[in-house]
Amino acid sequence: MKIAQELRAGNVVMVNSQPLVVQKAEYTRSGRNGSVVKFKFKNLLSDTPSEAVYRADDKFDQIILDKKDCTYSYYADPMYVFMDEEYNQYEVEKENLGDVVNYLSDGMEDKCEVTFYEGKAISVELPNTIVREIEYTEPAVRGDTSGKVMKPAKLKGSGYELPVAAFIEIGDKIEIDTRSNEFRKRAN
Amino acid sequence: MKDSDCTCDIFCTVVDNYGDIGVSWRLARQLANEFGVSVRLWVDDLQSFARLCPQVDVMLDEQHQQGVEVRRWPAEFPPVEPAALVIEAFACRLPQRYLAAMAARDKKPVWVNLEYLSAEDWVEGCHRLPSPHPTLPLTKYYFFPGFAPRTGGLLLECDLLKRRDAFQADAAAQAIFWQGLGVPECQPGELRVSLFSYENEAMEGLLHTWEHGARLVTCLVPEGRALPQVRQYFEGILSCGSDFSPTNIVGLKSDPRVYSRGNLCVHVLPFVEQDRYDELLWACDINFVRGEDSCVRAQWAARPFIWHIYPQHDGVHLAKLEALCARYTADLPAEMAAAVRVMWGAWNGGTGIGAAWLNLLAQRGVLTRHCKDWAQQLSPNNLALNLLDFLRRNA
Repeated sequence: MKIAQELRAGNVVMVNSQPLVVQKAEYTRSGRNGSVVKFKFKNLLSDTPSEAVYRADDKFDQIILDKKDCTYSYYADPMYVFMDEEYNQYEVEKENLGDVVNYLSDGMEDKCEVTFYEGKAISVELPNTIVREIEYTEPAVRGDTSGKVMKPAKLKGSGYELPVAAFIEIGDKIEIDTRSNEFRKRAN
Repeated sequence: MKDSDCTCDIFCTVVDNYGDIGVSWRLARQLANEFGVSVRLWVDDLQSFARLCPQVDVMLDEQHQQGVEVRRWPAEFPPVEPAALVIEAFACRLPQRYLAAMAARDKKPVWVNLEYLSAEDWVEGCHRLPSPHPTLPLTKYYFFPGFAPRTGGLLLECDLLKRRDAFQADAAAQAIFWQGLGVPECQPGELRVSLFSYENEAMEGLLHTWEHGARLVTCLVPEGRALPQVRQYFEGILSCGSDFSPTNIVGLKSDPRVYSRGNLCVHVLPFVEQDRYDELLWACDINFVRGEDSCVRAQWAARPFIWHIYPQHDGVHLAKLEALCARYTADLPAEMAAAVRVMWGAWNGGTGIGAAWLNLLAQRGVLTRHCKDWAQQLSPNNLALNLLDFLRRNA
């Protein structure tokens, strides 16, 4: 049993006898509003997408599915291909990757966890922390080393842009928390 | 389905204060009296409810009040036929027995969770989204009141703005109103302010500013959480032997419902029913309001208002405060918008309440005109109408 707040992209839950894979989960807490989580689901039986909202403490039956450690191999339009240690290849649709797609790049070595439902790869999870190189960002702001002032930066490989500390420069490697998609610190 | 054929169950737990039950009661009355809906209002705490509706007999499990069937919500929930429209107010959990009865029906009720009010942008993305029950064949829908067109809107009775305009144009009606409260009529040059808030660190500074201000301020304080601070303001100075002479202070021993010092006169009001509170907001020049229900009513009053948002220990409420302030001031000149923002900030944990007040007061004339436009702008997005429309589309 998991509560809504704990569910992440790739998790599969049973809702009224239907297996739904979480494609996106957005947690919101505001004022007196109880916390809510907005989900994008895909029904694994019908392939139908849906949106729903739940209280953060609503409980779900999570389905434990087969998982394999893989590495990202290449993009074969429109599928992303992952490979296990025995060189078996698995294709995953972009919609099932969630935010992971933002960090995929050729030659990346991160071990990914691919989840299967009835033999089909349905989602991928990255390690909680990954390291990526900055391809472009505006010059560092002199004097600010607090890490509180943020600026946008583009990642090498995927081209994904995220806020980083103002002192980060082109070519720096940074740690990213893949659960929150947030910059953590400089890695080199 | 015609509205008059419709049945509605509203479930409300009284968490604290009177906000949740205040909104539920207002909605129940509007659905029943304006649209002919048969409304059952389930309340877990009739004692608290009786403050809003003094006619309620707290000993009765079932009774009718102002067109609404009021039912005690007991721990052991009775077997009842679910209504066509089921509203759980503010994510209170429905009784298991009632849920089972909903699931057993061939035609499932339209089940809505009426959420708290927020002006934040994310609300539009969650409004009317389904929340399928994990195990039962039922779908709940999230319904978010709000200020933007793609939200559930606000509670507004059909004749409220007309009644407001008539009242504000009628000096005799206002005189009768003040007389009924035991408050003297407004004098030329006087500023009349209602003050309804939670405990507030800026209270002393605000009262001090009014006391020493150039203009006579009559402040109306409904009984509640702000009152001890107001009393402390007067009694504290009295008890620490300051320069103030007790003869300058009306109140305390002679009349504990009136305090007066310098240019400030405070009248303590009894806890009034919702309709009477509306009149208070209409009759005052500026209103301090708190929580959700009185905040909305202050906006319908078309008078400048200062919102004391329900404070939370981690400060998460401030984003909500800023979101409403941004919408409310979006059409104002920058200087005036800043005056409102600074005043709201000072009243919600900030500093500099005295300067903020004087700055706001300097803008009052134009701000009052803006408030009327603002109320008009909000009025088409009507929560009760939207709920019934949602029922028609999903029944």
